[in-house]
Amino acid sequence: MKPVNFDYARPKDVAGVISLIGDESRVVKILAGGQSLGPMLNMRLVQPDLVVDITGIEELRQVEDRADEVGIGGCVTHSDIEDLRVADVTRGALPKVAAGIAYRAVRNRGTIGGSITHADPSADWISILSAIGATVTLRGPDGVRSLAVEDYMLGALEADLRLGELLVSVNVPKLGPAARWGYYKSCRKTGEFAHAIGAFLIDPDRDVCRAVFGATESKPLVVSEAGDLIGRTGERDLAQGFDSRRADELIRDNGMNDPIDRQIHVAALRRALEQSGTV
Amino acid sequence: MVQITINDRQVSGECEPRTHLADFLREAENLTGTHLGCEHGVCGACTVLVDGVPTRSCITFAHACEGARVTTIEGLDEDEIAAELRTALSKEHGLQCGYCTPGMVVSARDIVLRMEAPSEHDIRVALSGNLCRCTGYVGIVRAVQSVIEARRARGIAAVPGGGRDRLGPAGSGHAGAVQENKRERAAPAEAAAATRAAQVSRDDNWRPQTTLEDSFTVSHPPEVVWDFFGRVEEVAACLPGASLQGAAEDGHVEGQIKVKVGPISAEFQGVADITRDETAKAGTIDGAGKDKRSNSATRGRIRYVVREGDRPGETLVELSIGYTLSGVLAQFSRSGLVQDVAGRLIAVFVQNLEARLNHEAGGGTKETAPESAALDAGSLMSSVVIGQIKQFFARLLGRR
Amino acid sequence: MAIAEVEKQGVGVSMLRKEDDRLLRGRGQFVGDVRLAGMKDVAFVRSPIAHARVKGVHPPEDLRSQVVTAADLEGVKPIRAVSGLAGFKPSDQPVLAFEKVRQVGELLAMCVADTRAAAEDIAARVELDLEELPAVHDMIAARDKDAPLLHEDWGDNVFLETFVDVNIEAAFDAPIKITREIKTARQSMAPMEGRGTVAYWDKRMEQLVLISGSQMPHIVRTGLAECLGLGQHQVRIVSPDVGGGFGYKGILLPEDICLGWYAMRCGHPVRWIEDRREHLTAGANCREHHYVITAYADRDGKLRGIDCEATVDSGAYSSYPFSACLEAAQVASILPGPYDFPSYRCRTWSVATNKCPILPYRGVARTGVCYALELVLDAVAREAGLEPHEVRLKNLVQPDQMPFDNITRKHFDSGDYPEALQRAIEAIDVKAIRERQKRGEENGRLIGVGHSIYCEQGAHGTSVYSGWGIPMVPGHEQATARMTPDGGLELRVGVHSHGQSMETTLPQIAHEILGIDISKIKLVHGDTEYTPYSTGSWGSRCAVMAGGAVAAASRDVASRARKIGAHLLQVHVDDVELVGGRVKGPSGSVSLEEIAHTWYRLPQNLPDDVDPRGLEGTVGHKPKRDTGTFSYAAHAAVVAVDPENGDIEILDYVIVEDGGKLINPMVVDGQIYGGLAQGIGTALYEEMNFDSSGQPLASTFADYLLPGPTEVPAPRLDHMETVSPYTEFGVKGIGEGGAIAPPAAIGNAVNDALKDLGAELVRTPMTPRRVLEAIFAATNADSQDHSDRGGRT
Repeated sequence: MKPVNFDYARPKDVAGVISLIGDESRVVKILAGGQSLGPMLNMRLVQPDLVVDITGIEELRQVEDRADEVGIGGCVTHSDIEDLRVADVTRGALPKVAAGIAYRAVRNRGTIGGSITHADPSADWISILSAIGATVTLRGPDGVRSLAVEDYMLGALEADLRLGELLVSVNVPKLGPAARWGYYKSCRKTGEFAHAIGAFLIDPDRDVCRAVFGATESKPLVVSEAGDLIGRTGERDLAQGFDSRRADELIRDNGMNDPIDRQIHVAALRRALEQSGTV
Repeated sequence: MVQITINDRQVSGECEPRTHLADFLREAENLTGTHLGCEHGVCGACTVLVDGVPTRSCITFAHACEGARVTTIEGLDEDEIAAELRTALSKEHGLQCGYCTPGMVVSARDIVLRMEAPSEHDIRVALSGNLCRCTGYVGIVRAVQSVIEARRARGIAAVPGGGRDRLGPAGSGHAGAVQENKRERAAPAEAAAATRAAQVSRDDNWRPQTTLEDSFTVSHPPEVVWDFFGRVEEVAACLPGASLQGAAEDGHVEGQIKVKVGPISAEFQGVADITRDETAKAGTIDGAGKDKRSNSATRGRIRYVVREGDRPGETLVELSIGYTLSGVLAQFSRSGLVQDVAGRLIAVFVQNLEARLNHEAGGGTKETAPESAALDAGSLMSSVVIGQIKQFFARLLGRR
Repeated sequence: MAIAEVEKQGVGVSMLRKEDDRLLRGRGQFVGDVRLAGMKDVAFVRSPIAHARVKGVHPPEDLRSQVVTAADLEGVKPIRAVSGLAGFKPSDQPVLAFEKVRQVGELLAMCVADTRAAAEDIAARVELDLEELPAVHDMIAARDKDAPLLHEDWGDNVFLETFVDVNIEAAFDAPIKITREIKTARQSMAPMEGRGTVAYWDKRMEQLVLISGSQMPHIVRTGLAECLGLGQHQVRIVSPDVGGGFGYKGILLPEDICLGWYAMRCGHPVRWIEDRREHLTAGANCREHHYVITAYADRDGKLRGIDCEATVDSGAYSSYPFSACLEAAQVASILPGPYDFPSYRCRTWSVATNKCPILPYRGVARTGVCYALELVLDAVAREAGLEPHEVRLKNLVQPDQMPFDNITRKHFDSGDYPEALQRAIEAIDVKAIRERQKRGEENGRLIGVGHSIYCEQGAHGTSVYSGWGIPMVPGHEQATARMTPDGGLELRVGVHSHGQSMETTLPQIAHEILGIDISKIKLVHGDTEYTPYSTGSWGSRCAVMAGGAVAAASRDVASRARKIGAHLLQVHVDDVELVGGRVKGPSGSVSLEEIAHTWYRLPQNLPDDVDPRGLEGTVGHKPKRDTGTFSYAAHAAVVAVDPENGDIEILDYVIVEDGGKLINPMVVDGQIYGGLAQGIGTALYEEMNFDSSGQPLASTFADYLLPGPTEVPAPRLDHMETVSPYTEFGVKGIGEGGAIAPPAAIGNAVNDALKDLGAELVRTPMTPRRVLEAIFAATNADSQDHSDRGGRT
């Protein structure tokens, strides 16, 4: 179980990456922490001509504190967030979710940018970042563009990257002091891929109320105006305001026909509400 | 050439970019205490310290650790925590065959270092990235717990984060830029593959693994639609990524289809046989293809029936599309991911077919036919639905 | 040496392990750690298709010398493991496939290069021309008249059919008749280290050396020599540290033969290290059973009879040495377990399918039969309105019946089964659970309690295996004990440890007899060149057989040491005894060190008529009866089932076990803990799925889920110690038992939790989805069509 023989480059800046990945004549793969790509390379599911290691780029390993958000460089790791080496602006949401991603040894190399670009529907970041309302910044030969995380993911294993484009940062809004969040995932064992994820954010100061059904077969289902679904702000017991039937209808309307799948997804969101603030 | 500090020793050695850290340690440096249990990052047997924190050496490339500090089990001989763990693991019978043990010690050391007062459950969660098939974890958990309790009782506090103070993947950021080598890579077996494309064996008993059924109505008479299905190059043009080599002869055609999903690319080279039943207005396209690189193969069957629609001049097209995948790409339980590609592909095919038929039915010519949609963002909405249909059939057909 | 200290090392002491230190420091030597000059790596080209005609295997022209195909393997015989049972149809497992491939992963070519990566590059360039045939993936459909045939000359797909009937008709009028269709998943043994082989030709010894992590080195030598047409003296198998085996590492693999054949010709060592994908998809498969089982009982729970049709998916080939019927042929004889009932009928089929050959895995056949029988007994209890343990207590063999021959003439050596069950019921506190169930759980989960009991026949010998007639019939075991000139001891045995701690436990036995400090007792094992012939480590036999042989050999050496000691003390041998490593006479003593020193270094001080065999002896052991030891245990589990998402959590787990005399209780506990973890894997997580074209769907540990630390509870253990009347010290084999009972105990607990919903699970693993399907089927009986399965999933 060894990879094909590929060439390797480690550019010093983003421009150096862009110049390499725009070449359509060969298969070029970006390598960050390699915790998803590594296994696929070992199994020869991916057979690149060139691997571009982006972890040498200082800019991608930095965090920028802006007025109402922080820009987390694409190569910041799960354990950087778990250990609070990145200051938390989400009232504990990101550090707690980070601590539940795979295993510690994986978190020490796996990156936030790599995870959402890999676009595995069952992965954690895509769901919690969608709930929090994070965006990504992409840079390519035609400049910079920004997308909501849930729009960045197109489907299973497919991110909206144009030729030559690279994710440079994940931008996380600073939540208000009254913000409440929740995250629940159904796994058969610790560290396993989730079979259902529920996540939500209620941030009254910023007038945000979002809910997410994650670990579908494709991109997460994001309800951006979720007041009717998960109840109004201010209720102490959040789960009381949860409308299970509406949730069930919603995911059925979005193509989830299997009643068992629907049941565990609805349950996941309700438990996220019940266990608000914990993982 | 890669330079790494291994167990406090500066090492520089030649290794291919594809060599993972575990192989570099084991094969180049003869540090065989680092074990390989799965080579896909799940079992934890290969766990070593990189820049002081546990890392999977089987999915970390040696070149990505240029300039880093790596500590293997052999480098923990004199380590205080590791020594306490060794004593405790022996006392609690925390090892039997000993294969998972080096990785377990490395992870356990990190837990002892990092966690102040974990509960038994916390320890179990923290150890869950290391699989042991022999002990049932009982002795391992007890050993870790006893070492933590003893150290805290001696006034030694935990070090949050294991003392790491920089951002980014462990092992990264120590070395400068590296240019690509631009060497010639040995060509894969493409040329050979082309000469030995898959054959379709006519086998009436063959049953596809997954079958999707679909139907749609076009506003033109059945004869026109029937004619359209007879022009295989036009039907093929509706299949994203497909291209034909030459024209069909005696109902036989050769071609290829490129499929890309995320980092995985497959290019199936193959043949198709076409049979048509004029009286029943029904036809079958049997195709088979082999991926150039992965030895994966696919086989598919499209059946179509052309009927009169509800209203005069309309045609109802009934499609049944079945396929089977074999080889590396098929061999995962999370088939949702790989099968999703096929589902999406078929959804786009149907969409293109419908568009082209309506175009021609509406008087358009082949030359002015609409650009076939590719497998992209636009096709993904329907893929969710198709995926569910596919699951439904899988459930229906998959069980006896 | 003080006597008190001596007592702390012998039989019954939880000695810390001698093998630990090197393993904890990463200094173990597993096959992948072997480094030989000039060694090259091997990668195999394997069939991507489950069933196909091989039209051609085409290596790239420029690399022809680095690729071996079937056409090259002149004079190599296929692997053939025949059973002597009537009607058995043998299969020829080709070393490299040529006419047909019959499973995904079957070998088609061997590629050799400087590194494994480069060998895989070559493998990727070998062109395969395979004509796909319809695959047989379902063992029940495999018996259909029109099923495709794996081995065309057979006429069907059945390796073996067996039938036994003991007056079943007498049970037909029983008031309770319960039938269930029960399935256990195909699994993988999944030791953390896969298989691996390094092969080279030793020019000086004119011998093929295979370094291969093997539980059964001598059996592999025999099989390998036969396939390669070599004399057995021309083959040496070295088994270094073995990273777990659980049955898989006893098998002779085609890979071994390929490497051996090549090493004899190429002039350099070659190595193949099985990777996890190969392990899961091509090699290590086990345990796929299907039962239709009926229990007949009276209203008071007394069993009248058991009627069963059992099918085992044996995969494509009959593997060496255990054959394709190792599971199914045993099912019929072990299904009655420790129960005493008057009527029995069982028909079994070992069926060929286009999957990996089924190989032995810890608890061979027993895990499946325990699950089937114990589930149906709980169903009887529910029908009779009794507690499940009441039904069992009515039917278990009683201690005063020992030794007991059951309905299939299994000879139970000893034991008190009702006592074990009673203790388990008390420890798990069934009464308290019933109260808790009445109260209900705040979080809506459903609590259930379940238990199971089994017997584990260990160290069974000739009388059992000769009837079966496979290439390997065990019966006796030898060990060599040899004192060294400094008074230490070497023990040589043909079994091999793959985690069982034999480097500690066998010296404990020698210490018990000779009193030599175990730090000075070295176990030599894992090398056919240095050890007595043995069938190896399998079937819970090492403690009984190798332990017995070590005891006998130690006694042999002791008797001669005593004679020399008596001579040195100038007293008659009848007046001395060997205590604490010293030969003591009426008025003085001499140490074994001095005796050894005299024998080896100062022979002039020995009497003229000294026994020239000296301080070395190879002595055999054969138990008084070779029908095996019967260890057993009662398991009890409390689970919480989440009816909303199907999760099952084990809240409590109790094991009451009886392994006779325990040589090292700490090691025995370790075997039970580890067995339980594997049993939980069987119950809840592990499943090798295949699609209908025979493609394996679990090729990684992300697909094939092994239980981790959070999935396995720390159970509460209780020991009983009914000694076996037939073995040294009264020990019984216990290595497999931990893995036998958990699926049944957990399955019964889950069904207990779901009983008010009318749902019942009758297949492993009990995944969240299967739990929910069972609940859905039971609660929405009209919205889904599950009527044919009576709400069971």
